[in-house]
Amino acid sequence: MLPEVSDLINRESKYLDQRLWDDWLNLYSDDAVFWAPSWSNEDTLIEDPKTSLNMVFLEGRGRLEDRVFRIETEDSYASMPLDRTVHVVGNITVDGTNNEAIHASANAIVHSYGRHGAQTTGRLYEYVLSDLEGRLTIKQKKIILIDDAVAGPIDIYHF
Amino acid sequence: MDGMRFEKNFTALVDDRVAEGVFRVDRSVYTDQEVFDAEMAQIFEGGWIYLCHESQIPDEGSYYATDIGFTPVVVIRQKDGSLKTFINACSHRAAILTPRKQGKARVLTCRFHGWAYSREGRCVRIKQEKEGFGDEEFDRSSYDLKAVSRTESYRGFVFGSLEENVPPLREALAAAAGWIDLMVEQSPDGLEVVPGSSTYTIHGNWKMQIENSVDGHHVSTVHRVFANTMRNREERDGLTGMARTEGGRITGKVPSGAYDLGNGHMAIWAQHTTPERRPVYKKKNWLEANFPSGKVDWILNRGRNLAVFPNVALMDNPSTQIRRVRPISPDRTEVTVYCIAHVGEDDEARAARLRKFEDFYLTAGMATSDDMAALEDTYLGSHARAARWNDFTRGLHSMVEGADQLATLGDFEPVTSSESWENETLYLGFYRRWRELMSVE
Repeated sequence: MLPEVSDLINRESKYLDQRLWDDWLNLYSDDAVFWAPSWSNEDTLIEDPKTSLNMVFLEGRGRLEDRVFRIETEDSYASMPLDRTVHVVGNITVDGTNNEAIHASANAIVHSYGRHGAQTTGRLYEYVLSDLEGRLTIKQKKIILIDDAVAGPIDIYHF
Repeated sequence: MDGMRFEKNFTALVDDRVAEGVFRVDRSVYTDQEVFDAEMAQIFEGGWIYLCHESQIPDEGSYYATDIGFTPVVVIRQKDGSLKTFINACSHRAAILTPRKQGKARVLTCRFHGWAYSREGRCVRIKQEKEGFGDEEFDRSSYDLKAVSRTESYRGFVFGSLEENVPPLREALAAAAGWIDLMVEQSPDGLEVVPGSSTYTIHGNWKMQIENSVDGHHVSTVHRVFANTMRNREERDGLTGMARTEGGRITGKVPSGAYDLGNGHMAIWAQHTTPERRPVYKKKNWLEANFPSGKVDWILNRGRNLAVFPNVALMDNPSTQIRRVRPISPDRTEVTVYCIAHVGEDDEARAARLRKFEDFYLTAGMATSDDMAALEDTYLGSHARAARWNDFTRGLHSMVEGADQLATLGDFEPVTSSESWENETLYLGFYRRWRELMSVE
């Protein structure tokens, strides 16, 4: 299981860094949830995304498509030009499996370069994956931002 | 304050000759270190500064650590429910007393040498006091925490001043108080800050963030892409009701306006074409039963952005926001945003408010991010000394002294009124107040 999971997670970062938006979107199921909670205190994350303010909380792949739509209009001040990014993902582990889902996690260092100069920030990823007709897809991705005081605008491809 | 005023006079940086049709501001106000240092001393450490919302310090002993200019302060809820603000530094060697930004404590104990302070700011414990200061009756009170001169709350919004000699908060807020009223009175059970916040830094001057918060002129250009993205989403997903965006105000084709609210406070509004998409719309019947129709109209049908001089913006749009600005240096500004919401509102309204916030307002949202990029560009451009003036005369010919008809209906008294939020006359009030505080007495 680990090789397939690793392949999926590594491909996601590659698609983001190479701006292969459609390939990236195709990794997600229609009902996917993409969630970066905010920190409620120095060492506590908010718990319930529905009743709290999140850094990002996107329910359904359509909400990811919105972000790509906005980038592709070339009408977004913050996205024209886009930052360059590189995601370095490691420490991938499969944390549990059952009939419906595979739980996996990974660590990431995201380096970006753009109008603000360079930034290198850390993330913890928690994935819920499912097998959709013989193909692994992302049902849920939770992104814990280690650096939650953000310098400048960020978008979906920085996560 | 003693010895805190700068000798240099910055008044020439605001060229105010309105009778001749001129009002312009030297762009060095955004870039110059001397200007910045004087602003910190004379504006931030010389008057009322927004600190926090009362819902963030709900109980006896609740504290909130923040700052006034470069001074770290902590607001503490007292036993009788009142609020006190102290310099957040141990009287002994100045270590910060709060382990976290926000929390609750019976006493604040310095983690460096163990000295302790009550909620009232009294020094209640000095480690090895007798050994250090002798057996004689020792007067610990000389080590009590230094209280910030003034702390007052206006309808839940807490402000502090290091300077003693300031007017009462209500008076200092001038007509901005009426705009806070519109935000507070719409909820029968009051307002609360929702869990979670976002902090980000902008490569630009703090005044650019305040200006941007009440800039109607950029909306139909910078946020056109937001409106288009939302339209695409709504058509794709067939969304209805509160799940849809109030897009009318972004088109630039609705009635709107701008006000100089006095003392540097500013505001803009735009008419909603689809007010039923706002969470507050659920309170329509209650509002109509309790307030005059003119006020209800202001609450339900107009999106409103208020900038309270000098460091906070309160947004009352389909989503609702407190945006606190902390200057770091001429070219760096830290911004923290909170969602402020009706206490006890139903799940649908709360979720709509939060999701709209995340769509629009955050640094990872689809509008604030574009604002940030735009104002960072204005910061870069401001370094050109061969082109040194920002012009603020747009709308001067149609500006009305005092209240227009809508202001009277909304029960507030602006210094000037403008018929469109595309106009920039509101900044006259901001920069006149800025110049007044930056002048040598």
